[in-house]
Amino acid sequence: MTDLADRRGVETAVYQPAEDSRLLADAAVEHARGLTLEVGTGSGWVAEQVATETDARVVASDVNPHACREARDRGLDVVRTDLVAPFRDDAFDTVCFNPPYLPTDPENEWGDWMERALSGGESGRAVLDPFLDSVGRVLAPDGRVLVLVSSLTGFDEVVERAESEGFAVEEVRQESYPFETLSILLLE
Amino acid sequence: MKESLMDILCDPLDKSELELEVDERDGEEIIEGRLVGTVTGEVYPIEDGIPNLLPPDMREE
Repeated sequence: MTDLADRRGVETAVYQPAEDSRLLADAAVEHARGLTLEVGTGSGWVAEQVATETDARVVASDVNPHACREARDRGLDVVRTDLVAPFRDDAFDTVCFNPPYLPTDPENEWGDWMERALSGGESGRAVLDPFLDSVGRVLAPDGRVLVLVSSLTGFDEVVERAESEGFAVEEVRQESYPFETLSILLLE
Repeated sequence: MKESLMDILCDPLDKSELELEVDERDGEEIIEGRLVGTVTGEVYPIEDGIPNLLPPDMREE
């Protein structure tokens, strides 16, 4: 399951719910409140769980136009964005993100939407790092972030980056699979 | 998009205000139209209810 080609599965333009999605949804249903943004919503499945299982008002975003349409078909409010760029300062009480995190050899990238949904660049943190650097701006003063981290992406590096951005970090979910351990971090 | 989203959206280029121009709506839902940067003048389309707020250099994908 660590190979991008394996993860890609059938030819499709939108990442479909998998173990990581379920872990994030489970944590988000427990911790999300108020106005909630899911960045990189993909199929919209996680955002839909939060919208139906909690009182949070949910907005979903993705860079991929196919994902935006799929999420909108679930009845979600959707905005096509680059991470949190078009949202106002202090806008959200909760932000959730299951980032593309698989470390990828630049020689092996194939340049379609599914790669964008999976690949975290050489480090695995090519999308996660700019997210951690920018998410604080759109969080309300007592807001929180729920972000999925894989051991493949470098757990300690992600915690360190979040702490350097001024967040207190708590691991609220952890599950181990044959080739990786997935965690959900709560940043406050 | 719901018109109430205007409360949380801004121009991705400089975080300034956006102005909503509506071509087609269904109650609270804006189906077709555009968001225009009040400072940058940049035009962000709303198509099939989805505002495309990618910065112009990322839009051609």
